[in-house]
Parts: sequence; C-alpha cells; structure tokens
Amino acid sequence: MKSLGVNIKYATLFTICMVFSLVVVKPAFPEGKFKLRPGAKGRVCLKCHENFKKILSRRYVHPLIKRGECTGCHVPHTSSNKNLLTLRSTKLCQSCHKEVLPEKARSTHGSVVEGNCNKCHDPHGSNNKGILLKSGSELCFACHQDLNDSVGNLRFKHKSLEQGKGCLNCHNPHASVKSDNLLRSEVPTLCKKCHETNKLTFKTTHMNYPVASSDCTACHNPHGSNKRGMIFDVAHADIVSKRCTTCHQKAPSLETKQPPSQLCRECHKTMANQTFTKNRVHWPLVDSESCLHCHGPHATKEQKLLKGPQLQVCGECHADTVELQEASKKNPDNETLCQPVKTGNCTTCHSPHAGDNVLLVNEASISFDLCARCHQWETHSTHPIGEKVRDIRDKNLSVTCLSCHLACGTGNNPSMLTFSSTYELCIQCHVERRR
Amino acid sequence: MATTIMLALTSVVTMPSRGAEVKFGYVTSIYSDDKNIPLKQPEGVACDGKSLLLIADTGNGRLLRYIFKNGLLEAKTVEIKSPKLFYPIKTEINSKGEIYILDRKQRKIVRLSSEGEFRGYLNPAGIPPPAAFVPRSFTIDKNDNIYILDILSQRVLILDSGEKYVKQIRFPRQYGFFSDIAVDLKGTVLLLDGVNAVIFSAAINSAAFSPLTESLKQYARFPGSLTTDDRGRIYVVDRNGGSVMILGQDGAFVERQSGFGWKEGRLNYPGQICINVKGEIFVADTRNDRVQIFTLVE
Repeated sequence: MKSLGVNIKYATLFTICMVFSLVVVKPAFPEGKFKLRPGAKGRVCLKCHENFKKILSRRYVHPLIKRGECTGCHVPHTSSNKNLLTLRSTKLCQSCHKEVLPEKARSTHGSVVEGNCNKCHDPHGSNNKGILLKSGSELCFACHQDLNDSVGNLRFKHKSLEQGKGCLNCHNPHASVKSDNLLRSEVPTLCKKCHETNKLTFKTTHMNYPVASSDCTACHNPHGSNKRGMIFDVAHADIVSKRCTTCHQKAPSLETKQPPSQLCRECHKTMANQTFTKNRVHWPLVDSESCLHCHGPHATKEQKLLKGPQLQVCGECHADTVELQEASKKNPDNETLCQPVKTGNCTTCHSPHAGDNVLLVNEASISFDLCARCHQWETHSTHPIGEKVRDIRDKNLSVTCLSCHLACGTGNNPSMLTFSSTYELCIQCHVERRR
Repeated sequence: MATTIMLALTSVVTMPSRGAEVKFGYVTSIYSDDKNIPLKQPEGVACDGKSLLLIADTGNGRLLRYIFKNGLLEAKTVEIKSPKLFYPIKTEINSKGEIYILDRKQRKIVRLSSEGEFRGYLNPAGIPPPAAFVPRSFTIDKNDNIYILDILSQRVLILDSGEKYVKQIRFPRQYGFFSDIAVDLKGTVLLLDGVNAVIFSAAINSAAFSPLTESLKQYARFPGSLTTDDRGRIYVVDRNGGSVMILGQDGAFVERQSGFGWKEGRLNYPGQICINVKGEIFVADTRNDRVQIFTLVE
C-alpha cells in the first residue's frame, strides 16, 4: 500500500512539472511555417530592416506588424512577387480585407478595384488613422487635384469639405452600396443629414416648392460654386432670378406648365425656328423628353447647361462611336488625330439639334466643306481628289477625304484610315497592286 | 436601256460568320433613274412581293418606282415628286398599292395613291390623347393595319386600313431609344432599341412589350432599322457597322451579312431594308448613294 502511495505522489509531481514546463517555459521548437528560431518572430527581420523600428513607433501600425508577423504578407526567402510579397500587391490586401469591396456595391473607387491600396495607405504604419498616407481631404486631393484646384478658387465652398472628415463626410473611400459616386447615401437623404428641410429659411429659399425629396444636385454643386447658394456656375437665368413660375406651376405644385417639347420653345424661339425647319431634326429632340435628353433645366457644370461633358452626353446614345474615338486617341500611330476627336468636341462637325445633311454634319459636303475648314485637302497628297474625281468602287461617289479616312476615328487603325494599313487601303482600288 | 442585269451574275457576299444558315447573294445595285440622275443618299426602300420596288431617294426629295422581275431590273423608272414631300426616309406599300412615306422634315406620314398622287397626311381618327404624335417610324401589316412608332407619347399606335384607331401599346419602362418598328406575319410587333441594340416584342393580343433579345452589341454597332421575312426571321440593319444581322423569330442570332465598305455588296450607313416572298432583299445603301439588291441563299 505504502509503495503505491509513494508512486502516486511521484506521478503527481511529475505531471505538475510537465504541465509547468509546457505553460511557463517556452517550447524549444521552431516557430511557424518558416521554422524560425525560438523568439525570432518579428525580431529577425528587424535586424536588417532597421528602418522599420521607426515605423513601429508610428501611432497606427498594421496589426500583423504589431504582432511581429511579417510573414503574414512577405515570404522570407523567395517569391515571384515584388518585395517578396506572398501575393501580387494588387491582390494581397483584399485576401484579408474582403469587406472593402461589397458584392452589391453601386459604386467603387478605382484604386480599390485595381488593388492599389498603397495609393492611400502605408501598408506598415502611419501617424494617420487607418494607416493613411495623409489625413482628411489632403489625401483625396493628391489624386483629385483638378477638384482641389477648382474648389480652391470658389467663392462659396461646401463647409463639409473643410470640416470633420472632409471628403469622407459625404463619400465612402472604398465603395458604396447605397449610391453612385461613392456617396454614403442617396441624395437628398445625404444632404438632409445636415440641411433641415423643415426650417422656414429652407422653404422660403426654395420659393415654397416642395423640393425636400428632389435631387439637390439638379441645381447645387455639392462641392461649391461661385454663385450664392452653391448653385452650379452655369445656371438657367430663371433659376438665378428665382422666376420658377416661368416653367413651373405656382408652388406647391412642381408640375411644369407644358411638356418639355413645348415648354423650352416658348422662350428659345430662335433656336426652335432654326431647328424645326431643317431636313433632319435630331430625333431625341422631338420625343417626350426633348431638350432634357442633353440639357439640365436648372443648373449644371457645363456650358449651355449640358448635362455633362459633350463627349459623355453624346456617348449616352452613340457609345459605339465614342469607343472608336477613344481607341483612336490611344493609338500612337494617330499623331495627327483630328483635333475635335482628340478633345471630344462632336459639335465641331455635327449640329446637335438639326441639320440638312446625313449624320447631322453642318456642311453639305463632309470632305470639301467640313474637313476643309481645318485641312487643306487639295495639297494633302498627289492622289487625285475632288468632286470631279470618281471613286472606282462606286460611280455615284467622288474621291473625298472619307474615301480613305473616317472622321470620327477608326479604333486601332493608323491616321484614322478605314483600313488597318496603307497597303490594305490602297489595294481596295488598286487591285492590280495586291501582293 | 441597258440597265437590265442578269441574276446569273449573282455572287455570294458574306462576312465571316458562325454556323452559316443563310447568306446574301449579291444581285445588282441601282445608282440612278432612267434619265441618269444619280440617287442621293436614299434612306428608304419598299417592295410589294410581286415586282414593285419603291425607293425613297431622300437627298433628291423624291420617290422612284422600279420593276424588278425575275431577277432583272427594268429600264424604265417612274419619278414621284410632290410639293408636299420634302425629305422621304421610309416608305411602305399596302396591299392595294397605296404608298405611305415618312417625311423627316415634316415628321409626318404622307399618303400617295398607287400612281403617286398626293392623298393627304396620315390623320388617325379617335386616338387617345394627346392627339399629336411624332412618328419616328411606321409599318404596315398584311391586313393593311398601320403601326406608328410615336416617340412623343412613348407608344405604338395601331390603326386599321381606314386609319381608325384600334389600340395602343405603351413603350416598355426601360429602353434607350426606339428607331424602328416591324410586324411579322403572325402579327407580333417588334421594336428596335438602337441605342441598346435590343429588340422588344409584343404578340398580337399583348398589351405590353417585353425584351425579345439581350443586347446585340457584339454583333451590331448602331442598329437603325428592321424587318421580317415570311418565315419570321428578323433582319436588323446596322447603320454604323454597315451590315445586316439575321435573327431567328425567337431573337437568336443567326448570321451577319455584308459589312462596311464601298464596293458592291458592301454597305455604308444603310437605311431601310425590304424582303419579299421570293427572298429578294433590297437595302437602301444611304452613304453609298445607291440601293443594293441581294437574294437569300440558304
């Protein structure tokens, strides 16, 4: 019995020692998948990469680095990726941070989609919250310089831009499931978080029209403008002078007095007279939406109250042509690309409202009148060209600029040629030269 | 005199295609009238299934009537001009030979007798308000009912042969811009959304349009007009792409024919297309200043 009791005592003591050694004493086994020497994790790297000590002292440090897990992102020995990363830099962050790009996002930040997270974040650490490279709007303006330039000179700036989170007061930095343009929520819900629509001043400013549910950006530039009330710089005269009843019924009705197809003509008589006597009126102008296909009725950023930049407006319907133009612009063989194509100025050649000619070009002959405004086609080449020179492919056609070129761009073809090379072009007529 | 051209000269003109079932065989091109006045940017073309061929010679503000019989084009042409006709872009012939023309300048449908005399403007009786309409296009079915694509009130107006209102079908909620309308032999109304390259359909007794196809942008750049043949196949003219898409009556893509260019058999900004029961195809080759004739080769 005694010997059994002694054995139990020793066995208990042995068990306690073993448990203690496991809990208190560090195991003498290699650490992690790279079998680092005990205690080496997070220290071995810093022996060489001394500058990281400085990064570790920053206010916000990536949690992996805090834990000394450099191998969370880097492979210590060899990698096919730059900086010995475990994945390509554009894929790496999203392998953990999947939530930044929700599946049902209505709008996404280009840099996030491309995986260029380090455009905004320092992957190791920063003194700015969210390990951002810069704080507040300063970070956004590093890329969106044009916006910074335009906002900087405005007389009336949106206070939100300079207060609190700056741009992030209204925008999500990564993606938005609720709205376009990365907005935190739809307009006007977003605006109403600060602007109380029940206030008397709001109502009187808006001439007692029930605009609380309207799209604020139909009149107001959300960043700021040179017009009081941040009305877009290009504003319909009746908006500026608050003569809403020129077009609308008396408040509180928001109804217009007539449909757009009739309403606009009431004032814009000269335009209407010039337009509706032409052979070809641009079809959208005579449907129910009429002028509002292309123009905003209240205020916009663009000249002539266009809804957006010209190329964008035209491209809403003529996307195929715009796509060709864009390809032509990127083609290095198109050094002498037509200026209006370069600048997206469709109305240099086309009449947007109406014209007497096919394609609504504003001259009777595309080549001899229209191209000739900028190009001296008579001296262009030794090839016969002109109204009296017949195109052998079609006896009703003359040899013109458009016998070889397409004015709106030809995608990847050089010099806006209709064929992929000069050879391919020439043998269309000179078949005997075919090799 | 020597404008008759032998069908024997027919050659098959086709673009590379997948699973070819039907092709266009090039027959001939019409460049001028019998006085050698060249066509100028013709946009419309109509055929009656027998031998009549009508061309809306848009740039010259006139119609031209030809006889195309047994694959031959007769030399004599009839010019139809009217002080009430300015800029014809689409034309149709009903079973009595009466001519209907869409005049783009006036945005009205002009009615002419079979001899080409002005009979007035299409003036439908009894249409629901608003009484005004803007016809972007129109078509006539085998029973002479008239279908108007009214872009002002976003509807298709259906009139009987006496131009009395029968019914209207509203445009669908989501669409880009409708550029043409066609009706097949079963009475199914087809709408062509040129911006999105989608065809919508409404069966004969249906009160609404629904999409027949998904976007056809991979086959066509900017579809502008459409028609059907007696087998229900749908022919869609791609204006910017200079080609014709052929679809099954279920809207499935079958074939793409012709292609952009100037040579005979090629098209440059084509307008209206017409197919008769003999499988003869007429295409207004607008920016090539001609009308081309093909036959369907199966």
